[in-house]
Amino acid sequence: MLLEDTFKMRSFKRSLPVYFFLSLLAQWFIHEGLAKEPSAVTAGMAVPKRIVSLAPSVTETLFALGAGNRLVGVTTYCDYPPPAQKIPKIGDFVNPSIEAVLAQQPDLVIGVPEGTDQEKVRLMERLGLRVLVVSVSGLSGILSSIKLIAGALGKEEAGEKLVLKIQTQMNHVRKRIEGARRRRVLMVVGFRPLVAVGKGNFIDELITLAGGENIAAAAPQPWPHLPVEYVVAKAPQIIIEAGMGSEREESRKRWADLKSIPAVKEGSIYSYPSDKILRPGPRAGEALEELARLIHPECFPHSNRKHIEESGCESSKP
Amino acid sequence: MKVLSRKKMIQVNGGLLILLALSVIGCTLLGPVPVNLSQALENFFSADPNAEILFRARLPRVLLGVAVGGGLASCGVVLQALLRNPLACPHILGVSGGASLGGILGLILFPVGSSTGDQLLVAEISWVPLTSFAGALLSMILIYRFSQVHGRIHPYQLLLAGVIFNAFVGAIIMFLNSIVDFYQAQALLFWLVGNLSTRAYLTVGFIWVYVLLGLFWLWSHCLSLNLLTLGEEGAMQLGVEAGVTQRQIFVASSLMVGAMVSVSGMIGFVGLIVPHVMRVIVGSDHRLLLPASFLAGGIFLTWADTFARTLFAPAELPVGVVTAFFGGPFFFFLLYREQRKRLFYEPSR
Repeated sequence: MLLEDTFKMRSFKRSLPVYFFLSLLAQWFIHEGLAKEPSAVTAGMAVPKRIVSLAPSVTETLFALGAGNRLVGVTTYCDYPPPAQKIPKIGDFVNPSIEAVLAQQPDLVIGVPEGTDQEKVRLMERLGLRVLVVSVSGLSGILSSIKLIAGALGKEEAGEKLVLKIQTQMNHVRKRIEGARRRRVLMVVGFRPLVAVGKGNFIDELITLAGGENIAAAAPQPWPHLPVEYVVAKAPQIIIEAGMGSEREESRKRWADLKSIPAVKEGSIYSYPSDKILRPGPRAGEALEELARLIHPECFPHSNRKHIEESGCESSKP
Repeated sequence: MKVLSRKKMIQVNGGLLILLALSVIGCTLLGPVPVNLSQALENFFSADPNAEILFRARLPRVLLGVAVGGGLASCGVVLQALLRNPLACPHILGVSGGASLGGILGLILFPVGSSTGDQLLVAEISWVPLTSFAGALLSMILIYRFSQVHGRIHPYQLLLAGVIFNAFVGAIIMFLNSIVDFYQAQALLFWLVGNLSTRAYLTVGFIWVYVLLGLFWLWSHCLSLNLLTLGEEGAMQLGVEAGVTQRQIFVASSLMVGAMVSVSGMIGFVGLIVPHVMRVIVGSDHRLLLPASFLAGGIFLTWADTFARTLFAPAELPVGVVTAFFGGPFFFFLLYREQRKRLFYEPSR
């Protein structure tokens, strides 16, 4: 058996140069094919008209900048705003299909360094596509990414306006909750294992800005797995489930056994069935206000709590 | 074979039982957050955080760990004996993988129109263990069929069949992962990494029932197993109906694996390490080895899970990572020993 293996290995090694040559040939063909498309390479820094987005937050930003009609490809996770669902899909967020991207003949591809397979992004660059990678880590990252994208689109003014709008929303919330005591918050994104929003995650920043104290921030990971007992010990006053597809009733039942947790006792368990609140995009300001309304309802006298619970993050859509 | 005395039986199993009880108590007291025991006992029936941490969050998880660890170890014992292969265990043979796939398909196909908590609980204790069991049984039959060469089980063929089956199941799970919607996809990953979590007492109780049923069924075949380890022909001459025993053991261990995997995903290496260590300590008489391995497996997984909970507190590790951490090197040690033995006994090669 051993001998046989050696033989196989040898014949494989012998044919390695052939494989190598074939792959070179393939790459050359791809290059040549692309070079004939003037839009991709020669257009250079012209205002992009055909854009592919590799992340849901980028798609949202483009729509918020009023450039949604320039999108020719989005990921399967890009479901907001609704018109985004009708745009051709180029694969999922983590694993975009290079062929599908090429087929759209984009003059700009925008991605994020977190989540997407960076090897693929680099390959797109090597294939001659104009690629823009914008970091969205942290709230400051979100704001600078909006400006970067706006700059690439030649929409600097709209970018400034959008950033200003988000900053205004944030200031508004800050004023509202001024003087309110911080309340302990747990934000859950998976149950079994129990996954929470931890430190170094922009949602942790949002929770803090919304007058909450994230009990999972003691864990160094952005998405830590926590044992249930830790939650009991930290006694959160508000539990928010997001992106789990669970409705409020289901979330309440899940926690019902642990009556020593203040959030369970007081019924302060909320749920956002979708992951929209978790996206580091232009709706961060709105998400912040919604969080603040859940954490400090007393600071928002006219807030219609029921409305928020039912429609999730979309309730205060512009 | 030496006669197994009642005294030894009681001594070994009694000692292990006491160790297990101490482990359960110790591991319930250990955790990422300190607990005030007297307050917990005082406020047993009221909504006190200490009591809830101990009796609602930790104890069910520890008890589940005992059932799963014990079950995996006893399945490892019988599979190693039946297939006369020291590297056999539910995880390596791909039986856990089959159970995982069965459980996932069960969850996807379960008619949960509006998935309320109660319906999910019913699924958790009956439907999902059942489909997991079917998956385990099916994979066991498949692997058994494919590992036979000229009517005999070929040890390498067996491992190869297991490896291929595991890879295949992993691929199907990743495939399902990419076609179901985003929220279900997150939940699917749980099946691939073994993970213990807090469950309702009802669920823990049902899993214990399935595991104990399987264990006693296996135990009833102990004498036949003892003879089968000497060789199928020899055992048959001594009156063992090899085919019947084999089939019953396959069904019984599939039942256990199905129940365990449906709540904990694929936890590796418990079924491999524990039987070997126990064989060294108590000998290879299955009347003693099987219950002893069950108890030792329970002890091992309970402590492994306590490590998983506390090592990087407050974050936790999947327990499968901890068992693999101990199990991987041990697996290589076994391979090395096998190699040495062969060199020693077969100098002609």
